[in-house]
Amino acid sequence: MHKKPMQSRVARTGLAALAGSLLLAAPATADEMAEMVAAAQAEGQVTVYSFTSRIFRVETAFEAAYPGIDLVPFDISSTEQIARIQAELEAGIASADVAYLADAPVVVEALVDPGYLTGYVPPAFAARIPDEFEQPLMAHRLSTKVLMYNEEANPDGPPVMNLWELTTPDWTGRVVMVDPSTRGDYLDLLTELTLQSDAMADAYEQAFGMAISLDDGINNAGEQFIADLLANDVVFVSSTDDVNVAVGAVGQANPPVGFTSYSDRRDNEEEGWALQVANAVMPSPGIVYPAYLGILSNAPNPNAAQLLITFMMGDDSETGGSALAPFYVAGDYLTRTDIPPHPDAIPFDAFRAWRIAPEATREARQDVADLVLSLQ
Amino acid sequence: MTDPAIDIRNLVKRFGSTEALAGIDLSVSRGAFCVLLGPSGCGKSTLLRLLAGLEAPSGGGIRLSGRPVADGRAGVTVAASGRNLGMVFQSYALWPHKTVQGNIVWPLKIAGIPPAQRRARVAAVTRMLGIEALQDRFPGELSGGQQQRVAIARAIAPAPDLLLFDEPLSNLDAQLRVEMRSELLRVHRETGATVVYVTHDQIEALTMATWLVVMRDGRIEQQGPPGALIAEPATPFVSTFLGNPPGNLLLAEPADGGWQVNGVACDGLPVADHAGPVQLFYRPERLTLHDQAGNRRIAGRFLEALPIAGRSIVSADGVDGGSLRRLSAIVDQPPPLAYGDPVFLELPDHPDGVFSMTGERLA
Amino acid sequence: MVVRLGAGGFGAGRLRLSTLPLGTVAWGLVGLLVVVPLANIAIELASADGMQAIRDVFTGRIARNMLWLPLQNTLAIGVVVAVACVALGGLLAWLVTMTDMPLRRTIGFLAAIPFMIPTFSAALSWTVIFGDDRLGPASTGFLHALGVPVPAWLAWGGVPIAAVLIGHLYSICYLMIAAALVLVGRELTDAAEIAGASRWQTLSGILMPVVTPTLVAAGALCFAEAVSSFSAPAILGLPVRFHTLATRAYGAIETGNPERGYVLIATMIIVAAALLAVATLAGRRRRSFATVGGKGGRRIRMTLGPARWPLAIAALAVVLFTTVLPALALLLSSLSAQRGTVFGALTLHYWIGASDPAIAQGQAGILQNPQLVRSFVVTLGIGLATGLVALAAGAVIGAAIHRTQRRWAAAGLRQAAFLPLLVPGIAIGAAFIGFYGAPIGPLPSLYGTPMLIVIAGVAATLPFAVQSVTSALSQISPELEESARVGGAGPLRTWLAVTLPLAFGKLLAGFVLVFVKMVRDLDLVILLYTPQIPLLTVLAFRYASDGFMQFAHAVSVVILVLSVGAHLLANALGRSSQPWLKAPAG
Repeated sequence: MHKKPMQSRVARTGLAALAGSLLLAAPATADEMAEMVAAAQAEGQVTVYSFTSRIFRVETAFEAAYPGIDLVPFDISSTEQIARIQAELEAGIASADVAYLADAPVVVEALVDPGYLTGYVPPAFAARIPDEFEQPLMAHRLSTKVLMYNEEANPDGPPVMNLWELTTPDWTGRVVMVDPSTRGDYLDLLTELTLQSDAMADAYEQAFGMAISLDDGINNAGEQFIADLLANDVVFVSSTDDVNVAVGAVGQANPPVGFTSYSDRRDNEEEGWALQVANAVMPSPGIVYPAYLGILSNAPNPNAAQLLITFMMGDDSETGGSALAPFYVAGDYLTRTDIPPHPDAIPFDAFRAWRIAPEATREARQDVADLVLSLQ
Repeated sequence: MTDPAIDIRNLVKRFGSTEALAGIDLSVSRGAFCVLLGPSGCGKSTLLRLLAGLEAPSGGGIRLSGRPVADGRAGVTVAASGRNLGMVFQSYALWPHKTVQGNIVWPLKIAGIPPAQRRARVAAVTRMLGIEALQDRFPGELSGGQQQRVAIARAIAPAPDLLLFDEPLSNLDAQLRVEMRSELLRVHRETGATVVYVTHDQIEALTMATWLVVMRDGRIEQQGPPGALIAEPATPFVSTFLGNPPGNLLLAEPADGGWQVNGVACDGLPVADHAGPVQLFYRPERLTLHDQAGNRRIAGRFLEALPIAGRSIVSADGVDGGSLRRLSAIVDQPPPLAYGDPVFLELPDHPDGVFSMTGERLA
Repeated sequence: MVVRLGAGGFGAGRLRLSTLPLGTVAWGLVGLLVVVPLANIAIELASADGMQAIRDVFTGRIARNMLWLPLQNTLAIGVVVAVACVALGGLLAWLVTMTDMPLRRTIGFLAAIPFMIPTFSAALSWTVIFGDDRLGPASTGFLHALGVPVPAWLAWGGVPIAAVLIGHLYSICYLMIAAALVLVGRELTDAAEIAGASRWQTLSGILMPVVTPTLVAAGALCFAEAVSSFSAPAILGLPVRFHTLATRAYGAIETGNPERGYVLIATMIIVAAALLAVATLAGRRRRSFATVGGKGGRRIRMTLGPARWPLAIAALAVVLFTTVLPALALLLSSLSAQRGTVFGALTLHYWIGASDPAIAQGQAGILQNPQLVRSFVVTLGIGLATGLVALAAGAVIGAAIHRTQRRWAAAGLRQAAFLPLLVPGIAIGAAFIGFYGAPIGPLPSLYGTPMLIVIAGVAATLPFAVQSVTSALSQISPELEESARVGGAGPLRTWLAVTLPLAFGKLLAGFVLVFVKMVRDLDLVILLYTPQIPLLTVLAFRYASDGFMQFAHAVSVVILVLSVGAHLLANALGRSSQPWLKAPAG
């Protein structure tokens, strides 16, 4: 029934395992694994900066698996992690071991290139992860920022079929997102819209039946969309959870829509939400981007760091066991090719979000950030 | 007959459990310069504040020019502002953010006096006090004496019927005080206002008062013209508080049908029939100094001699009923004595006053 | 810049502690704490990137939204907050210290508390009451839930930001003005009364002008605090895209554009300083009125007559609205089973519950969380250390200001010491990471040590410390110290035996001010903390940004308890340590 997109991808990149083991002289055998655990246990602690609060559940699982090692989790946004790791490494402070973060366009330039953050691909998984997700840092999963709606209030499917509808009076003050001036992933989302300007122009014509005309100072359809969205009183909030509550909370007659993480749908039951992705929206519901795992170059507990990353990739059971459980949810696309897609999720190759290209995004995002600033 | 400027009946003021004024009766005639004199804590400032309307009495009443302004039941019935009075504070209480002129003119503005008249009044009072040149200065830029003059000018500018002074000269140096005393008398004469003046300095009191009120412990000990109080002190306290040097008070006990003062027999007391011990009052100028014991001579030790107006005030301490008491005598020649030398003070044959041990004047 | 906090200065011959060049030490302190880290920012601005940032911010297409509109918003909020705080704080101070208003003790006590409530908690509690459904049910407040229509301008933007800041800062105006009013000689108002002035005339013609220097200083302080505040505009402004320079600077620093952030901060400092300089110059001749004494003694309280109770009730409403209400809102929402519903089912889970994977990613209640205990201890330690070091630094700098003969040098020192008032906490944090984050010569980097937070805290609270110490010492007559010196006591002994005991109460109050500011401050430490030195405010902020509002509010309650506890303890200690001071009547 579901395809296995990751497996097809791994076929294209057959040298993944080799590349992983060449890059890092890491333990490959059971003996070496035992050695790593022993060394990690001698270190006794591992500190991780994580951009998701799900790290707290990893903590519980990890400490159950390795009782002698204390996992100290810190939930810090990707943007702040970058600033913090830069400051700490420049100051020669060894604070953390592992960084779990997104914001790929900045991470590579700011942390990987200067050697602050190094990749680690657990040998046991090297063959099961597509090559493109092993460089320059290993991607643990792909995360999303996509248009979500309230499925309780809209049982027949998404209330909008085209992003351009969000710029019409029907949606004035009813589109919610995190302020892109403060969060890299949302800036990346807007940047992608400008990079996909042709698709945006086509979608405009589809929506309104005429070719798009650009305002003064606007260079392309993507920018025009951003300008129109801001002019339509889009609501900026400070966290994705604010978006989730605004869009998803049950019992609303006329809820807004918003850009948030597809995977936050997993909390629908617990939080009383009815979040659903508007996958069909033209030209695309949003973006997917990698969530990286890396080891700080001055990690005080390098072995425990490797052990944690290995652990976070899951075990050999059907869905990866307790370590992957927090991430085996609808809306998160794991990079491990041997894990079946989540039954409730749209399969990855049917998922219409754009994959960001970190290099191109990095070049364009300052301009987009300034555009957003100039329009508010 | 016109009403007195001030008429106070059985005035009582309590702060919590302490009684600051314990029944004051006082009448001050129009145009008088009434001085309230007494040691710290005697209630004189409280009395002044009640007169000003800054505090309400706990009992009794006050009338100004026949008009009731406060009583123990109704409290303040006429506020300070309605009593047509001016007040000069110990600290001067000049408003620091106003210039000299601003300080003087503000109360006139409050009183609704038209600008032309205001200017005239300010000109008049600044001239009267010799502060015309200081009009644009702030209080912080004035000397103590200048501040004092401004405070007085401010108080008299509205031409009040009643002027109240609360120890106004106590912050000035000795020479300025002498100057300001005559200045105040001149202001009093020129304004014609009734003055109530609080001080603990008896020189101020004796030089300025037309009516002197001596207070102690919330009560009036004695009131009247200063000369009368000096001549006929009504209580032992007044006798030793007033005068410079103060009068001498000695304990006399009946012995062998006569009287003994410090073991020295004395005759001719006007209250020979009195059964118990009494207090004798002698003016300093009536005591004489001797170098050996004799009739009515009290033994003591020489303390100091102060030359004054061609004569000398000699102080000695004598033993009186077991307690040391200072005695003063005014003599023509300074004695060739050093501190601690024995000395004998001879009492005149008749005391200037006799008080019972409870303070009543017997003779 | 010219910020004069209240009148005063040292009496002659103060603090001859040693022959050490006091001025040099003071300038060294101010240099290390204030000048050098800020100069570091200026140097960055002079770089190519910095110049580009200046061009972008002032002339680029972002200029309007990055600089001009936020600047306008910032100044408007600053002025409104300053004026309202002085009016409200002054009125309360007058009612409590000068009138026979009933309940004035209770009201006076409560009025000191709003300053201790973390601003971000106060802002959150505003949304708990006034929020509309712009952000969906999460932001729906009590009034909206009751069906009372809440206009949008009352829910978000400049009005609520100003209201929250006023509710937070009027408290400091109250404290400053009440202290000044108590010092006004009673005879000044007596004299006005005798002159026939009405209550209003006495108040407006005498009392207000006499305490004007304090009013100006209090207003300046509030202005500075308001323009540099980050939390309130971040929470209440963002949903309607209402920005201030502080939120814009934060955004720029956080998104990897620190130079732009520095441009904004530098602009804010310069503009605010210019405004304050004008305000101070306007009131130039009004100096040190508040210390004009008179005969001591009982203060006659103005009788309010029939207005007594209405005024008391109004005053009580103000202090309750700004203390009990936010505290209650925080407490209640920390007990709510479901986020965003204050009046739904209650639970103690967020305080004492064990880990439950179904709730908040399995986070245990805060009292079960070892992180909380650690944060509590670390916060307490850093607060105490900052308080002590700041007061010590304040004493040295205050003494030097007084003793420096050249007036311009003294003024320079004073202005430099007060400069941190205008710098948002986040900018101080950024400056300190920039300068002390890397090793300096042989000295190791301070980053990641509690030392860095303490030093940055001392810098941020230096204006308060200098002011507290100066006013504490200026009220001790120099003769008291001189008589001890003449009696043969050495300088240290004189200080310990005479100065310190006499100034103790005021110094303690200053210490508590610094302590509280440190304990409840988020902006300053958000860039400086590391996982090894967790702080309560950071913990609360982390919880809040994960959407775990109940945890966040529970931690806010802990912060509040810590702050108010310190305040109460200091009150008790200050009173019992100074038996010669009778508790002020009424």
